[in-house]
Amino acid sequence: MRSAVASSAPARAPGRARDDGAAIVRIAALKKTFGDLEAIRQLSFDVGDGEFLSVLGPSGCGKSTLLMMVAGLIDPTAGEIRIQGAKVAGPRREIGVVFQSPVLLPWRTVLQNVLFPIELLKLPRAHYQQRAMELLRMAKIDEFAGLLPRQLSGGMRQRVAICRALVHDPNILLMDEPFSALDAITRDEMAVELQRIWQAHRKTVIFVTHSIREAAFLSDRVLVMGRRPATIIDELTIELPRPRSIAVTEDETFNRLVRHLRKAIEASHAE
Amino acid sequence: MRNNVGKYAATIAWPVLVTTLILLAWEISVRALGVRSIILPSPSAVIETMAERRDLLLTHLWPSLYLTVLGFLLSVVGGIVVAVLITYSAIVRKGFYPVIVVSQVIPKISIAPLFIVWFGTGTVSSLLLAFLVAFFPMTINAAMGFESIDEDIHRMARTFMGSRWQIFWKIRMPNALPYIFGGMKISITLAIIGVIVSEFVASQEGIGYLIKLAGSLLDTPLMLAAIVALSISGLALYGIIAAAESWAVYWQPPPEAVGVGGG
Repeated sequence: MRSAVASSAPARAPGRARDDGAAIVRIAALKKTFGDLEAIRQLSFDVGDGEFLSVLGPSGCGKSTLLMMVAGLIDPTAGEIRIQGAKVAGPRREIGVVFQSPVLLPWRTVLQNVLFPIELLKLPRAHYQQRAMELLRMAKIDEFAGLLPRQLSGGMRQRVAICRALVHDPNILLMDEPFSALDAITRDEMAVELQRIWQAHRKTVIFVTHSIREAAFLSDRVLVMGRRPATIIDELTIELPRPRSIAVTEDETFNRLVRHLRKAIEASHAE
Repeated sequence: MRNNVGKYAATIAWPVLVTTLILLAWEISVRALGVRSIILPSPSAVIETMAERRDLLLTHLWPSLYLTVLGFLLSVVGGIVVAVLITYSAIVRKGFYPVIVVSQVIPKISIAPLFIVWFGTGTVSSLLLAFLVAFFPMTINAAMGFESIDEDIHRMARTFMGSRWQIFWKIRMPNALPYIFGGMKISITLAIIGVIVSEFVASQEGIGYLIKLAGSLLDTPLMLAAIVALSISGLALYGIIAAAESWAVYWQPPPEAVGVGGG
């Protein structure tokens, strides 16, 4: 049954992404149900190579489920996800994931945690050790390489998690509300850091968040998802010049974007 | 660092003081009331006996300790193996695990005479009883440790394409270590009980046999000397495990002194 649906032509849902040919991730007519609960309905969009795409929506709207499907951890009920042309049927090497909590292994030092994917993927450790140190330096936590996670603050732990997601040089970075557990000041700081890291590495990023400001600040493009079952209700291209500093969030242009996104979300609530 | 040492000194100072006071009260009241040593010898008399009959005590202590440690080690290995089976095999988890849990209603010590019938009086019976009583807490604790991994950690490892084998050795095993050590601390105490009871029932050597023999000869000082020697040994075994734990489980902050004095 699933294959019959998957082979049908992808439906053009509202908010369908522009087809610029450089898509690295293509999501077509994606559907996910848990028993009677329909989490995601007819979701289609593309993500361009090197693009920073945010998926913005209220808590529990199915955006994390979407991300877990892209990561190959959950199978879609219908529809398909293609990464560089290949259909996703399980976890893939070219993906790095950052979760809501840092999920570091408490018995490993910062450096050992960052190198964990290298061990699992059986890549040459000696080669990647240097890369891991460079990532830590870039995230400004290299001096803590020998410490255990419990000796770090929440923000630093999440930086370690970001380094870990990047260590095996994936093309695509999936981020599931990575800053939601942090305080407001650390959040702003981390957004700036993430932008810097992204500009240095130019990974494709799919960033799931419920923070309008965060989405507007970080993204090239924002997809707004409505209440369950999740579909795209709006799409907004953010053309603010980079690198963006936190000062940008006080500009009128930025606030107009934020208002636009807020209205889109409120409209979906009113339904 | 110095602060830690100071804290540690403070936590042991009180129990040491209380113990000293109790021993002192015991000593004074036995002397003052002229209690006969067959009823209750004074602490100093017990220590004197321990020194005088050192060879006898050691002769009987060694086989008991040897069997305790052996039974304990077997229960550790066996418990971990069964815990792995519980974690990975649905048949074992659904079929055998409940049976193992329910079988704990049986006071295992009561099986000692049956073991004597089956395996005779001697080392085999003692060893098996020690193993049997120590095995259960090891299994339960290790199984809990293997299964209590955070769903997010499991997910994280899967996104990096970790195999089941890798997830076991790199995540489940280290995650279970604190639980395994918790089980070991319980098991070592139970293993001692297993050996002693078995020696009570039927044996020609061992500290349990000596305690029983001293009792039947109404040699109360010797009996207490044997009990003290046994307690010190038990404390030492427990201490070795606690020390190994703080070395192996280095990532956890040191526990408060609550459980430490319990041995």
